[in-house]
Amino acid sequence: MNLYQQLRHERARHITRRHFLKDSSLALGAVWLGTQHGFGAGLKKDPAAPLAPDIPHFAPKAKRVIYLHMAGSPSQLELFDHKPELTKNDGKDCPAEFLEGKQFAFIQGVPKMLGSQFPFHQAGKSGQWISDRLPHFERVIDEVCFIKSMWSDQFNHGPAQLLLHTGSQTPGSPSAGAWATYGLGSENQNLPGFIVLTSGGKNPDAGKSVWGSGFLPSVYQGVQCRSQGDPVLFLGNPDGISTALRRRTLDALNDINQRVATEIGDPETLTRIAQYEMAFRMQIHASDAFQIDREPAHVHQAYGTRPGHESFSNNCLLARRLAERGVRFIQLFDWGWDSHGTDDSTDLRKGFVDKCRQIDQPIAALLEDLKQRGLLDETLVIWSGEFGRTPMRENRGGMEMRNVGRDHSPSAYTLWMAGGGVKPGFSYGETDPIGYEAVRDKVSAHDFHATLLTLLGFDHKRFTYPFSGLEQRLSNVTKPSRVVTDVIA
Amino acid sequence: MRFFPRFLFLLGMAAAPAARAGEIDFNRDVRPILTKNCTTCHGGVKMAGEVSFLYREDTLGQGESGKTIVVPGHPEQSEMIARILSSDPDERMPPPDHHPKPLTDAEITTLTEWIRQGAKWGEHWSFAPPQMPATPEVAKTDWPLADFDRFVLAGIEAAELSPSPPAAPEEWLRRVSLDLTGLPPTLEEWEAFHQAHLADPAKAREQAVDHLLASPAYGEKWAAMWLDLARYSDTFGFEKDPHRDIWPYRDWVIRAFNEDMPFDQFTIKQLAGDLIENPDPHDLIATAFHRNTQNNSEGGTDDEEWRMSAVIDRVNTTWTAWNATTFGCVQCHAHPYDPIPHDDYYRFLAFFNNSEDVDLNSDFPRTKVADDPAKQAEVVRLESFIRQRRDDMNAPMRALATGIADWQTLNFQKAEVQPPTGKLTQQSDGIVVTSGTTPNNTVFRLETDALPLALLRVEIFPEKDEPAEWRGRGAVIAGLEADLIAADGTRSPIRLREVAADFVAGPFDPNESLQGNGGGFGEYPMTHRPRTAWFIPWQAVQPTPGSRLEIRIRHGATCNESQNTVLPRFRLAASADPALIAHLDTPEHHAVWNELDLLRKQYNEIPGITIPVMRERAPEARRDTRVFIRGNRMTLDKVVEPGVPDVFGGQGVGGNRLDMARWLVSPQNPLAARVMANRLWAEIFGTGIVETLEDFGSSGAVPSHPELLDHLALRLRDHHQWRLKSFLRELVLSATYGQSSRSTPELTSKDPRNRILARGPRQRLSAEMVRDQALLLSGLLERKMHGPPVFPPQPDGVWNSVYSGATWQTSQGPDRYRRALYTYNKRTAGYPAFLTFDGSSRDVCLARRLTTNTPLQALVTLNDPAHIEFAQAFAKRMAEAGPEPAARLARGYRLITLRDAPPELVTTLVQLHADTRSEYEKTPAESAKLAPTADEAALVLVANTLLNSDLALNR
Repeated sequence: MNLYQQLRHERARHITRRHFLKDSSLALGAVWLGTQHGFGAGLKKDPAAPLAPDIPHFAPKAKRVIYLHMAGSPSQLELFDHKPELTKNDGKDCPAEFLEGKQFAFIQGVPKMLGSQFPFHQAGKSGQWISDRLPHFERVIDEVCFIKSMWSDQFNHGPAQLLLHTGSQTPGSPSAGAWATYGLGSENQNLPGFIVLTSGGKNPDAGKSVWGSGFLPSVYQGVQCRSQGDPVLFLGNPDGISTALRRRTLDALNDINQRVATEIGDPETLTRIAQYEMAFRMQIHASDAFQIDREPAHVHQAYGTRPGHESFSNNCLLARRLAERGVRFIQLFDWGWDSHGTDDSTDLRKGFVDKCRQIDQPIAALLEDLKQRGLLDETLVIWSGEFGRTPMRENRGGMEMRNVGRDHSPSAYTLWMAGGGVKPGFSYGETDPIGYEAVRDKVSAHDFHATLLTLLGFDHKRFTYPFSGLEQRLSNVTKPSRVVTDVIA
Repeated sequence: MRFFPRFLFLLGMAAAPAARAGEIDFNRDVRPILTKNCTTCHGGVKMAGEVSFLYREDTLGQGESGKTIVVPGHPEQSEMIARILSSDPDERMPPPDHHPKPLTDAEITTLTEWIRQGAKWGEHWSFAPPQMPATPEVAKTDWPLADFDRFVLAGIEAAELSPSPPAAPEEWLRRVSLDLTGLPPTLEEWEAFHQAHLADPAKAREQAVDHLLASPAYGEKWAAMWLDLARYSDTFGFEKDPHRDIWPYRDWVIRAFNEDMPFDQFTIKQLAGDLIENPDPHDLIATAFHRNTQNNSEGGTDDEEWRMSAVIDRVNTTWTAWNATTFGCVQCHAHPYDPIPHDDYYRFLAFFNNSEDVDLNSDFPRTKVADDPAKQAEVVRLESFIRQRRDDMNAPMRALATGIADWQTLNFQKAEVQPPTGKLTQQSDGIVVTSGTTPNNTVFRLETDALPLALLRVEIFPEKDEPAEWRGRGAVIAGLEADLIAADGTRSPIRLREVAADFVAGPFDPNESLQGNGGGFGEYPMTHRPRTAWFIPWQAVQPTPGSRLEIRIRHGATCNESQNTVLPRFRLAASADPALIAHLDTPEHHAVWNELDLLRKQYNEIPGITIPVMRERAPEARRDTRVFIRGNRMTLDKVVEPGVPDVFGGQGVGGNRLDMARWLVSPQNPLAARVMANRLWAEIFGTGIVETLEDFGSSGAVPSHPELLDHLALRLRDHHQWRLKSFLRELVLSATYGQSSRSTPELTSKDPRNRILARGPRQRLSAEMVRDQALLLSGLLERKMHGPPVFPPQPDGVWNSVYSGATWQTSQGPDRYRRALYTYNKRTAGYPAFLTFDGSSRDVCLARRLTTNTPLQALVTLNDPAHIEFAQAFAKRMAEAGPEPAARLARGYRLITLRDAPPELVTTLVQLHADTRSEYEKTPAESAKLAPTADEAALVLVANTLLNSDLALNR
């Protein structure tokens, strides 16, 4: 059975089960059907089961997504984009033509060129270039498909993060995770379909809009989970209320609410019933999913995890546990990659090295773990920042800084994908000889979204939602977009 | 071709001297015809036959029939004209069954001529001033109560629906109480209303509404709405997110709503309360509206960058809150959809670019809010006097100094810098230029031949001569000392007494240059222009031959730790004219000093807290506003003067913030009345007539009922004179509002989101109401109003800001049970229960909360310890019904819904209570965690269940 057939099967099973459970809901069913041809931002899904698994347009390559976002944007020039020409020009004044008409967040006057701070070599059977900062990751490099020609038109974090995750640089559009959950539902009705985990002590600059549902119904927004206490706020039953008693109260509550639904006929009441049921299931299943201390010692060793602390490695292990449980979209934000060189923590030779160390082992472990469990084929793992960093050394205030850093550079950055139907051991696109601008096979956020949706089984131009008088889509209605077929296996 | 003969006749008319000579104007001539006759069916709510006349693109397109509706230049090919002229009753538009009268010949001529002239379109609907529309014809003439009901009814009838029956009195009272005051009615209020309703329903409703509008809770409810727009918060925002005292502004808003301050006054006071002549003492507090901008206290930030960021936020907030226009687009380029040129952004920004605030950690400038409101007038008087007297003191000194002609520019033989990484170079014009690396503690040590000295002039110049490049890092003299060095090397200090300046502005007094506290004369945090100060010694200096003069200039006024304020270029000159020395000892000068001392003492004796407010810089200190090339503040273009875009009726509006605020609420502005009427409508009916409360531009939603919107806007502005209470009274006493919210499959199918309003509104409670209702029902609510924010229980670990030691100290006593709007709001970590129920983080202006329905909300009301506490207290109130479980449960149901519980429901609840009680009897340790006895614990669970029901969570 291929993935497509499997999804069809699951959907059929779900619908049967739902009808079986809700034999009294004939009239309510009619209410739902009615809404399907309503106008405005009407519901397109059964409001009582908005996350029921659904089938895309064609057989998907990937069933779910794990997105590892390095918030602040790591330097492509210190990791994956090998530029010997830049190293040769290290310390020279930046030529005027690179500065004309450019906007920088902090660079002023004439900065100096800055060669990569770390040596590069070729790794794996595929012989892909990589610096010496990610020794564990090298083990899995043959699984990885690099896109080195990503580009953005936003040079501040917030707008750039929004563009990459929602297709629009301003808040208000649904995130890719919301679109995926809207289109595919979730394989697990006991957990949110779209889960967000953060590390590095901060949320992303653009805030919660990065995983928002925009104009899609809010049930598709990412749910941010915590690594200490209840993973989801108020998940645990209050003192003195057991799970059995909670179940009992919810039965009575459903009874009351069903009466309200019949009497008042507001579809939102049906949604509320479904949400309370989901809350109850989450109480049981989310707690279980988040208990990483149940993993054996060798797994902790592989990921470098320490239960009870907020860390990127814990989140990687959680991502695998959530993927196993059928969560559709899992998004990790790790803060601390904004290597301006204003202090040690943002120095490419200091803070950046620590950040690399923090992600190297868990990412390698995640890919190996997924592969070993047979999940990598159907799970698309994506890694990126929101833009790249300048080949020039940052000179904040026009002065030479004590620490070494790079400013924001939207014109080129590296994104990689693994598993889920992408070409393993492959590299796509090129930047110019100093890694400043993508020059060959450029990929915009919109192209990336078109490709992502293709991997998930959607014709990105037909996967739409009516809003503001337009059939809106993730790949942006007003900007050009193309599917990067070359990266699809 | 059944219409042909008449059509020819019309064409003949058009060729002859036309009924309407000259060019057809779309807005003047055509839109009213369309609006009156066509758009109810072919418009925003309903696009019958896929035809819409709201946009030109749609009008030039094809309907369901595939025929082109309007072909510019060719009325004879336009289906619109064909259908209007048709004699076939099945074909004719408007349809004879709804509109017995066809269009008049004059109207048909206008439409025909309009198409012949090319079917030119007018500007976007919201840019044309609202016009009072004709009241539409309706069939069910006995239904409307308010005038506006007819507009709604016309839409209902056009959709071939009927209005719903009136809501039951208890449904109506609960809805209107929550809508107007944010709190449900008490049982006593319900009983009183119920009795009155039996006697005279209409009168009972009027009395109930008047009672609610007069309740102090009214102001609290509507303040909660406004505070989202004001982005009111108790912290600065960003990284450390430190505390900010600004809650007196919140209290001002509550009072303004309760006093029914007209919206035009409400607007002017908040935007320009500091500029009003003869202001009310509290007007300055209102200006804190625009001091709710975020303030970046992170180390190393550029205060000018964040000052500009705050100014931009003020511009965008003003446009979103009052005009629902995405003006922010124009910061970087001309508006993509609407006719607003790029420069207009900066013309408008110029209104805000001359306030005193500069992102300082002190939140300068501030005003005192007296603990005793009666003393506020005295505070305002003293603050204004002190400022005035400071200027009065400086003005004569400046006049004397600028009148002095004999200046000797000081040429230095030695010009050293400490630390020596910096360098000073003196040009032939006497200007000393700083270069090299000059950290903030840099000291200049300058030496020259001594000369007779009775006054020392210091000129500070920006780095560049070109005015467009004047803006640079700040320049502040934090200390200036002078020594006379005799030929034998003996040093004697020259004692300096006072500093006069070209003008006094900003956070520092020029005299601070002599006090060594880090502040002083100069430009801070940015230079905007050359500056001049005069340092006055105690006595004139007559140097002995061969002696030398040493002058030391110290720096130290930092901006956020790393941005220094070392003078980039300066020039010193000396004069022997003793005029100023003499002036300092005049009785007049002494008198001003004495008065200032007295005023300051009186001011300091008034107890109160200080809050940030808007203050305009002195005219001499005005900052030029320049266009940012592509929106980048680092690349500046031409200077612009304050102004308002033409398209919004801004012709001739200039001057200052006060002029701008007056324009906003004037009839020249086509938007503010519509935007506010729409906002109030959305609060009452759940969805705006323009759904996008934040965007009335071309990219926003189109109005579902354009005529209704204009009708309401003009009612609000002209009839109600901007008074919200009487406007809201009209809304909630209408037939539209009075309908039952019960839906039918047909209604849900035809109108799932209730845009046609053929049934009453049903909305989920807002974040604030979820808390406030539970507090009221459980009897815990503390009605105390106003005052510092409070800290109700919240989970540990929510406040976790980096570099901040702030902790959440849970309020004890009554403050634990205050209404939601008094809860402390930290921008980076808001109160979780509110955020989960779609509350705003208050980072930026939020015009519309999107209502959601998620499992996380269920977790809050089921499990949040605060909500368990509400359930415990609610159970006690249920128990007041006597010992019988059935009676207790029925009382709980009645407290929430004001209704008698249906018997089946009582059975459900009794069973739940019995089951849980028997479970708790087996587990007394568990039971004790909720209540003393198993019976009571079971009642807590039932209370929790009732408070979670859809009946409780909606209104």
